[in-house]
Amino acid sequence: MTTPAAQTKPAPAASPPAGSVPVELPMAGAPAVPFIEIETLRSAQFIPAAKETLGDLIAEQGQAKVIRPVFNWAGRNSLFPLHWGLACCAIEFAAAFGARWDAERFGVVPRSSPRQCDLMIVNGTVTWKVAHKLITLYEQMPDPKWVIAMGNCATGGGPFRTAYSVVPGVDKLIPVDVYIAGCPPRPEAMLDGILRLENLIRERKE
Amino acid sequence: MQPEELQARISPKLGENLLGVEPFAGTAGRVRFRPAGALELFETVRDDLGFRHLSMVGAIDWVDHREVFYVVWSDDARQYALLSTDLAADAPHVESASGIWPSANWHEREAWEFVGVTFDHHPDLRHLLMPEGYAFHPLLRSFKLHEPEELEVKSRRV
Ligand code: SF4
Repeated sequence: MTTPAAQTKPAPAASPPAGSVPVELPMAGAPAVPFIEIETLRSAQFIPAAKETLGDLIAEQGQAKVIRPVFNWAGRNSLFPLHWGLACCAIEFAAAFGARWDAERFGVVPRSSPRQCDLMIVNGTVTWKVAHKLITLYEQMPDPKWVIAMGNCATGGGPFRTAYSVVPGVDKLIPVDVYIAGCPPRPEAMLDGILRLENLIRERKE
Repeated sequence: MQPEELQARISPKLGENLLGVEPFAGTAGRVRFRPAGALELFETVRDDLGFRHLSMVGAIDWVDHREVFYVVWSDDARQYALLSTDLAADAPHVESASGIWPSANWHEREAWEFVGVTFDHHPDLRHLLMPEGYAFHPLLRSFKLHEPEELEVKSRRV
């Protein structure tokens, strides 16, 4: 199998002079995440060199243009959802982290404390009894944070919309970024929702 | 135990507050009583007849009146018995059984919450399954399915 020349990794410089390690940062519009040799990362010059390169870029293009894409890139590749389940949709949520669908390959790792999360997947029927606990959990999550309403119940009350105990849609309580339809949505649909959210984060300006 | 035996052993204690004992499939019988004799009946049933376990308390809205029923179990006779009383539809209330069978506590909270029956001298009569401040007794026949927005405005507590 032949590999296009553009995709082969660059040959490491024989002995890079101190302070001049070539550092490319992942940027919006850049062709791909640059390949950096592990020796380069380990070398003492990397961090000062990266700082210098960043400083030059910021002076040249302004802070928002340089830092924001880096944050967005890091944020969208390490979405940590809150590990909780409200109703039947939580079964599909759990299945998505099993061996077959393996959501962790997208950097999605459920965390048990809201303080470590930046994504809340509301996976089930929200009742009035749980409503203020849900809001407390949401408020405990550090900014920036996102919410996915998973399934018909969280989206609009689902089959229980007129019931006496059910919140007709979690967007009555907290802002929602992505809605996933289905009763329950399959794990693929949940992963699709997460990827759509990643696209939203990619566009994020402030 | 048969309904006749229940009748014979309860009526000396309860007098006219006992309305009758009728057969009820799968149980020793269904004891109908007036709410005024509730505590006396509970004590008699527990101490004299040996129904030491209260299995459940339920309430039904029959529109013109409300019914409260108690399902009790005797380990000696290995039998259930039903105790049932009718309450007026306006301001229905009956003495709490939680001093006799502590397991009545949560059942009575639920019955109050959903059917609106007040249990006098209950130690802690507050919402069990709905949030505090919930404005309805949703299992009453008069409860209409609300538009979600209306429920939200009346019950939201955030
Ligand atoms: S959308 Fe369907 S599967 Fe999901 S919580 Fe509601 S009823 Fe259950």
